[in-house]
Parts: sequence; C-alpha cells; structure tokens
Amino acid sequence: MKRTAILYSFNSQKTARAAKMVQEEFGGNLEEVNVEEITLNKFHDYENFILGVPTWFDGELPNYWDEFIPELEEADLKGKTFALYGAGDQKGYPENFVDAMGILAELLEKRGGKIIGFVPNEGYEFESSKALRGNYFCGLPLDFENQARMVKPSINRWVEQLKREFD
Amino acid sequence: MSEMSKYHIKQTDKETLRNWFYLMTLGRAIDNKAPNYLKQAIGWSYHAPFAGHDGIQLAIGQIFDKNTDHLFPYYRDMLTAISAGLTATETILNGISKATDVAGGGRHMSNHFAKPEWNIHNVSSCTGNHTLHAVGVGRAMKRYNHKGVSISSQGESSVSEGYVYEAINGASNEKLPVLFVFQDNGYGISVPKKDQTANRKVANNFTGLKNLKIFHCNGKDVFDSMNVMTEAKQWIIENQMPAIVQANCIRMHSHSNSDRHELYRDEHERNYVMEYDPLAKYRRLLVRYERFTEDELLDIEAQVKEEVKKAHKEAMAAPDPDPGSIFDFVLPEPYPASKYPEGLHQYEGEPKKLIEGINETLKAEFRHNPDTYIWGQDIAHKEKGGIFNVSKGMQQEFGIDRVFNAPIAEDFIMGTANGMSRFSDKIRIVVEGAEFADYFWPAMEQYIDSSHDYWRSNGAFTPNVTIRLASGGYIGGGLYHSQNIEGALASIPGVRIVYPSYADDAAGLLRTSMRSRGMTLFLEPKALYNDPVASSPVPDDFEVPFGKAKIRLAGTDLSIVTYGNTTHMCMDVAKKLEETDGIHAEVIDLRSLVPLDEETILASVKKTGKVLIVHEDKVFGGFGGEVASIINEKAFEWLDGPVKRIGSTFTPVGFNRILEKAILPNVDKIYASALELIAF
Repeated sequence: MKRTAILYSFNSQKTARAAKMVQEEFGGNLEEVNVEEITLNKFHDYENFILGVPTWFDGELPNYWDEFIPELEEADLKGKTFALYGAGDQKGYPENFVDAMGILAELLEKRGGKIIGFVPNEGYEFESSKALRGNYFCGLPLDFENQARMVKPSINRWVEQLKREFD
Repeated sequence: MSEMSKYHIKQTDKETLRNWFYLMTLGRAIDNKAPNYLKQAIGWSYHAPFAGHDGIQLAIGQIFDKNTDHLFPYYRDMLTAISAGLTATETILNGISKATDVAGGGRHMSNHFAKPEWNIHNVSSCTGNHTLHAVGVGRAMKRYNHKGVSISSQGESSVSEGYVYEAINGASNEKLPVLFVFQDNGYGISVPKKDQTANRKVANNFTGLKNLKIFHCNGKDVFDSMNVMTEAKQWIIENQMPAIVQANCIRMHSHSNSDRHELYRDEHERNYVMEYDPLAKYRRLLVRYERFTEDELLDIEAQVKEEVKKAHKEAMAAPDPDPGSIFDFVLPEPYPASKYPEGLHQYEGEPKKLIEGINETLKAEFRHNPDTYIWGQDIAHKEKGGIFNVSKGMQQEFGIDRVFNAPIAEDFIMGTANGMSRFSDKIRIVVEGAEFADYFWPAMEQYIDSSHDYWRSNGAFTPNVTIRLASGGYIGGGLYHSQNIEGALASIPGVRIVYPSYADDAAGLLRTSMRSRGMTLFLEPKALYNDPVASSPVPDDFEVPFGKAKIRLAGTDLSIVTYGNTTHMCMDVAKKLEETDGIHAEVIDLRSLVPLDEETILASVKKTGKVLIVHEDKVFGGFGGEVASIINEKAFEWLDGPVKRIGSTFTPVGFNRILEKAILPNVDKIYASALELIAF
C-alpha cells in the first residue's frame, strides 16, 4: 500500500476515536495528520488518504475542512485516492445525514481524486444525504448516537475493504 | 465557497475584505460590550446577542441599498444594521435609549435597531410581524414600478407565527419583490427547533408555494452568505418574485440577557457552537490565504476599539428623552377639514342612503387622489363590491391595481396596509378590515402594532390607513355578525375611532379619514346602510373633523349621549319624551369616539344636570364608562342624578331574534331609563 495518511481533527472526540480504531485495524501503518493544520504542500506528501469528515449542524463541513476548501479547489488531485468516514446522526438530523462526506467527496472527485470505500446504505434510516450515490454511501457513516454498537464492527469491515481497494 | 462564486477569499479585493472585517469586529465589540451597560445600570436591559449570525447579518446589510431597498431587521440584527450603515454611536444610542436614538428616540425597546430615514424600519418586538410590512412595501414597489427589494429578516422559530405564512403566501401570490431571510440558530429562546415544525430547515415548509425560490446558505460563513444573498437579490429583481434565504447560524450565547442557556444546553453543545465562531473563522481565512497579516488585523482591531470608545463617550453624553414629550406623536395632525370646521352643513339636496354616502365618497376620493388603494375580502369581483356592496363599481372605475380582493386573512389585510404605507407618505389606504367587525380579531396584532408606529418611531412613520368595518347588530346575525368592538379598541392609543349614524356624517368622516395621515377605525352601522332613517342630503365636498360631536336635538332636561345605531333610537325616545312627558331631551351624536368631544358633552351636562349614555356595545367595559368617568371628574357639581348607561348585556349577541332583542338596547329600554333618571 502506498504512503497513506489519516486526516482528522485532533481536537475532535468521536472522529478521533474512530481514527484510532481505523489506525489499529491498519496495524498502526497510517500517518496521522491533524486536518486543522493541513496545508496543500503537506497534502501532496501522500497519495492515499483516509479522511475523517463529520457533519456539523444541518449538513455542513466542520470549519477546519471548510477553511481548507479554497486550497483544494485549485489542487490537482489526479492519482490520489481517498476514503472518507464521517459521524452523523440519523435521528437528530435525518435530512442531512453525513452530508459533509458527500460535499467533500464531490470536490475531491472534481479535482481528479478517486473515491473508494463505498458502503451500502442498508441498515441506516434517514431521509436524505448528500453522501448517497445510488444505494451506496461514498464513505463509511458512523452513528455514535444511535448505532454505537455498530461503529467498531463497521470500521473493521471497512478497513478490510480499504486494504483491498487502496493501491 | 465555490470557484464560480462572486465572493471568494482568494479573489475578493482587499478593501472589501477589510471593510467586512472592520464591520464584523465592530459589531462583535458592541455585542460583547452591551451587557456591561446593564450591569452598570445604564440601560440596554434587553440585549439579544448576534454572535454566531455574523456571516448572514453582514451579508444582509451589504446587499441592502438604502436608495432602492427597504430593510426590516429583527431584534437580533445588530450587525445587519451596522453593515447597512448604522454607526457605532447610533447603535449604542439605541441600546441605552437616548433621545437622539435614530430608531425612535429611546421609545422602543433596546436592541431594536432602525433608521427610518434610510428605510431601515423600526419594527415590532412581536416576532416576525414585520414580514407583512415587507410584503406591503413589495406591493408598493410593484405598483410604482420601483426597482428594489424589500428585505425581511427573522429568526427561524418566528416562522411558526401564522402571519408569517400569510406574508409569504401573499408575496408568492402577488409575485412581489420580497426577500425573506430566516436566521436559523436552532432555538426560539430555549425551545429547540424540533418543537416548532417537522422540517429542520423551516424554509422547506414553503417548497409547495409557486413563484417562490428558496435558497440555503451557511450563515456563519461570510462568503457563502454574501454569494447567496447577492444571488437571491438578483434573482428577485430579474424575476420580480419573492425568495427565501435560510441561513444556518449558531447562537453562541443565551437568547438574551434574561435567558441562561446553561439551563438547557449542555457543556458539549455550548463548546461546539463556540468552536464555530464565524468571526474567528473569517479572521483565520484572512491570514491563512495571506490576504492580511496578523499585524494588519491587529491594527484594524485597534481602530475598532478606538471607535467603540469614542461612540460610547458620545452616546453617554447624549440627552435622555424628555418626560414632557410623552404626548408627542401619538397621532399625527389630521386633515383640517376647514371647509366644514364644525362638521355641519345646511345642504338641502336629495337625501342619500348611508351606503351611498360611503360609496360615493370612496369614489370621489379615489378620483381626487391617485395614490389611494382599497382592498379587503370579497371587495371586488365583477358586480360585487364587498359583502354589503359598499365598494360597488370601484374596481370597474379605478382598476384592479387600486381596488382588489385580499385573501381571507385579516392580519394580512392590515399588515400589508401598514407596509404599503411605508413606501411613501403620500399613499392613502382603505381596507375593509374583515367581512364583519366581529371577524377583525385575527388582525389585532397588526392593529396594535400599527397603533404604536407613530409614537414608537418618534414621529418618523405613521400608517396612513382607514380601516372600514361593518359593525353592530339588529340584523339577526348573531355572534361574529352582530357585535361591536369599539369598547375594546378605544383603550388603545394611536388610532382614531369614528362611528357615524347618518349618511352625511359617514361621507364627511370618511373624506377626513382618507385625507389624513395616521390610522382611523371607521365603523359603519351596517343595519343602517339602506335604512331611510339614516339618509340625509350630502354635500359633494362634505368634511367632518375628528372630535366634533353633533347636537342632533337641543334640549334642557336631559342629555342623551350616543353614537351609531342607537342615535336613531335616542331620537325616537327624545320625541316620545317631548310628546308624552313634556321632557326636552338633548341628543348628542358623538360621531367620533377618539378623539372625543368632551367640550360638547360637558356643556350639555352643565345645562341639563342629567345624563344618559346609550350605545350598542356592552355596558360593562363599554365606551360609555369612559364618558361617564369624564363627566364624573369634570362636571360632578352640575349633576342632579347618577350618570346612567344603556347598552347591550354582558353576553355575546344571540342569533335568534328573541335573544338579540333581549340583549341589545332598544327604544323601550332607553325610554324607561330616561324616565327613571328624570324622576331621580
């Protein structure tokens, strides 16, 4: 597997917890990068990415991702591969479930990036999501509020999938 | 932010970015400082902090053009007002309620920022009620082919108010250039938005309305807010239809200084919202994308600090309101009615019915003044002109732009009248406030709010509206078709109330109302519309000034004070007293309740020593109680008996004629009471 970074906010709670689980399943082989300090130069150090992208409020990117967007908008991401996971709340925010993953994935693809790690939407109950592509999410939704027990097993399954899909 | 957007951290010119940062920093500095004024007992006892709404509020103010647009901010819109042009001093003057506060001279609550001369309107605390005013302005813009946008701003929870739906429905139906902004911070005081409506984004409740576009933006983000608001305004101007912008915000603090959000928001949530501080985000972007250095920003922040300090000093030195000014701007000076200064005439032409007097005066005034409008329910459809055909023929003569139906929404009828009046002081509006006076109650919040406007704005704005209502009973109409409302409404300052009982007075009072600035409640005794007893000759140019009673019959033994339907009964009683009992009663037709002609009443009391007050409305809590009290206070020594009152019982008015008769006053009841009083 190529050099792979896992980007998430080191100040986050659930997203950081999930990152630790992903790291563990990858046997500690991921480079952890604090997205709150990311620059485009740093970004270009890697070819494979796992991004922790929780959805804030009613379907928004967290500010640390949002503030990186102007850089990403001009970046050439050809040859880079991205896997996204994100926390969302199906019951509290059913109209915008894990929207942030969808918003970011769309931009990454637009700039030439490749998205992997799609997950079937079976077992989730929500009204709409920008992360939905047909019957698949463009990443791994994690619902700590309503499906806490599913978090760990779904991460494990997803990491196995990523190991196959990452170059 | 998107690459295609007009405003972008990488592309927007530095001066614009600087200006935004300055305004946002200034707003936040005053927002943070406001609670200190209360702590020091200086003022600003109501403060609803805007922190967390920074992006959208900056954008509302930036897209507002005072030369073309109208802006209706709500009580959390401090940055909106500053971004629209209010100075730091003007902002603090409002906060600490000084006489030089441009919003209203310290009369309105703090944190209600306005500048009427720039069409930044002074609005009610009644949340969301200005949406109807914005729609009224939008209607005027359309009628006068004015290229501008009427912008209304409110919190998401106030969209629950029924009149907000009426406003958006009306703007959609009439295709008006109105921009409704919902600043969604997730709470109505402590009530989470899930308790308001099923959609988390309340704007989506309106997706079924035609002629309406809904935009969403991140109200915490300067660029997204600027881009979406710019696009929405442009769309409205190009399409001449309304739009909604739903801006997702956060409330970083409590609802206001009387709220404690730690009682209902846990620490995690409070930290979560603080983390997304829109001003801090904008500042980080400026540095990250090398548009400003840290030193440059520190320099701007220092300038802001200086400005706030200076503004504070100026505001503290400003004069307080003068307690002697409290009677200023309750009502504007009315049209002088100088052709008939006493509201009397000697014209001897063909008698006209009351309904003809009103209809012909409406038409004459519409010919006289092209800036007159009339609307109401059922008011104009082919040969139909109002439930009683009072406005018959008007739409044919003056067109649908000036004479038109309104939806069955009394508050909308009233609220848009207030709003349209804001567009230009030359406009005069007549509304048929409801099908029947008893149906007027849904319009009460607009009635009350409109009654405040002139006083609250320190004379800057008065709604020039005549509210026509078919009132009273004797038609077997029961509840909602036969009751009187003037007793309840006379206690509200800021509205004139007239109640004619003859065709000539109806014509004369209507003309004076329609030529006056300010609001007049014009009550029409519907039982008399076609009754020959109310007919009279009507001079073409007749005018009756407000506050001038008419002595219908002179007498020496007893004063009967009355108005409306009961005037005719009192005239019958007076004749009977004369013919049967040799008693000379004086009948005073008040015509105008507010203002009241105390002089004529007191002069009569001094002459007769005995007073009977008669009206159709309830005795208990009725207007007669006020008249009796005035007589008691000012003419007690001339009284030779108790002031008696006759009116309806303290019950609703029943539908069955037997019940109606038992409830409403009539000749027999008045006669019996008069004899009792004479015998005292």
